[in-house]
Amino acid sequence: MSRALQEVVPLSRRASITVNRPRETVERLWRGPDHRPEYIHSKGAAVRFADAPGDRGTEIHVELRPAWGGKAGEIVRKVTGSEPRAKAMDDLRHFKQLVETGVIARSDGAPEGELAERDLRQRPARPLGERAGVS
Amino acid sequence: MRANVWSGRNEVRVENVPDPKVLNERDAIVRITSTAICGSDLHLYDGYIPTMKKGDILGHEFMGEVVETGKGVSNLQVGDRVVVPFPIACGDCWACRHELYSVCENSNPNAGMAEKLFGHSTAGIFGYSHLTGGYAGGQAEYARVPFADVGPIKIEDDLPDEKVLFLSDILPTGWFGADLCDIKGGEVIAVFGAGPVGLFAMASAALLGAERIVAIDEYDYRLRMARDKAGATDVINFSHDADVVEQLKELTAGRGPDAVIDAVGMEAVHGHGGVHAYDRVKQATRLQTERGHALRDAILACRPGGIVSVIGVYGGLLDKFPAGAFMNKGLQLRAGQAHVHRYLRPLYERIRDGEIDPSFVVTHRLGLDQAPEGFETFKHKQDECVKVVLKP
Repeated sequence: MSRALQEVVPLSRRASITVNRPRETVERLWRGPDHRPEYIHSKGAAVRFADAPGDRGTEIHVELRPAWGGKAGEIVRKVTGSEPRAKAMDDLRHFKQLVETGVIARSDGAPEGELAERDLRQRPARPLGERAGVS
Repeated sequence: MRANVWSGRNEVRVENVPDPKVLNERDAIVRITSTAICGSDLHLYDGYIPTMKKGDILGHEFMGEVVETGKGVSNLQVGDRVVVPFPIACGDCWACRHELYSVCENSNPNAGMAEKLFGHSTAGIFGYSHLTGGYAGGQAEYARVPFADVGPIKIEDDLPDEKVLFLSDILPTGWFGADLCDIKGGEVIAVFGAGPVGLFAMASAALLGAERIVAIDEYDYRLRMARDKAGATDVINFSHDADVVEQLKELTAGRGPDAVIDAVGMEAVHGHGGVHAYDRVKQATRLQTERGHALRDAILACRPGGIVSVIGVYGGLLDKFPAGAFMNKGLQLRAGQAHVHRYLRPLYERIRDGEIDPSFVVTHRLGLDQAPEGFETFKHKQDECVKVVLKP
């Protein structure tokens, strides 16, 4: 196996998404104050941008640092939806939605928008009433 | 408001729930004037779609009057009469820009959940489990419509609700099924399932120029409607003879239909008791999620080089997929939740021009409070039921 392949960061520490906008727009908004992906920034992850092929916009590749707890910690986080990759994907999806549509997609079952930690305890799909926007 | 909610397998209840509110600037709130029960709602009712929660409001076929808009919605005014497409589409992602609205990349806030099951997320859908977003549905007095600047079509004349309501789903879905068949004129098209979607697929195939249309179902009353109202030239009732594949070959002098549309999906019934029992047991014990006779027969019946178009809903894994027939006959398998937005305007114009009147499928008209009765009647095909419309 070549040296380059051995050094690849495992999938559990990688997250990526494609945003349907030119690279300069994506990079500017990523660094600006309005759409800043807080989790990814706070974890000091390495972020790389690339032009997607053809008319497909811009790829964002995130490499996360190793998390605590080894294999056991990884399983716990996976079950609760709090694994770094899932949280980074929440961030990336929110960023993509804000850049492409101007809003975060919210439903009655997932009023905060995409949130892996809520997957196992969704609200019923009915209006929230007075508690709108609150879990 | 009153709303029809899922309360567990084979149980729906009409309950009082909070009124919906605008949550995003691109939302609108619609006061619903007509809503329908879809055949695909029966998959939820029967408990075959995962990620349902008790209390979920059902319904993805609805229309009504705009009563509130977010500040990002400039194309609609309070008082506008609109039909709402069942897939929720943002209009801005790569998929939407390529008219692939039912696989919108942004409208499903449970995308991570969907990816685990399907590899990728698909669009949010009203009232159709948490896998498609956990959105409250339209079997209610009001609904919140996200991306209201993209989806709803304004109805600007006085056509009655029943003529335009089905733009929300089943008419574009049937049309999409026929559109996938590349009909150029002179084809033989077979349609498995003479429910509302199958009937509209037949009517669409006829409008697109197919020469012969074969309707396949187990109920004579539905096959009569196929022949009398939807343009079917031939009918096969598989409860009389279960070998649909041989009957289709016989009808086409050995060629097989040029394209076959599966408008049945995951809860197919088979005319042969043994085959049906096999799939029924495997589905009940969750060894497979689909009873896929219609799709299997579609692949076996289709002429070599032909197209199999799948608009019936599947949710998971199918056993005994005839991969050998599919590959060696060189078939094309095409499928999808309909990209409704693509067809709204042209189909609305065809309705306005009198080319098609979709209201022929309506057999039952009930109040919203009678939704539980509507589900039972529809599920068990009682009283020659084809389509139930609910009035909130």
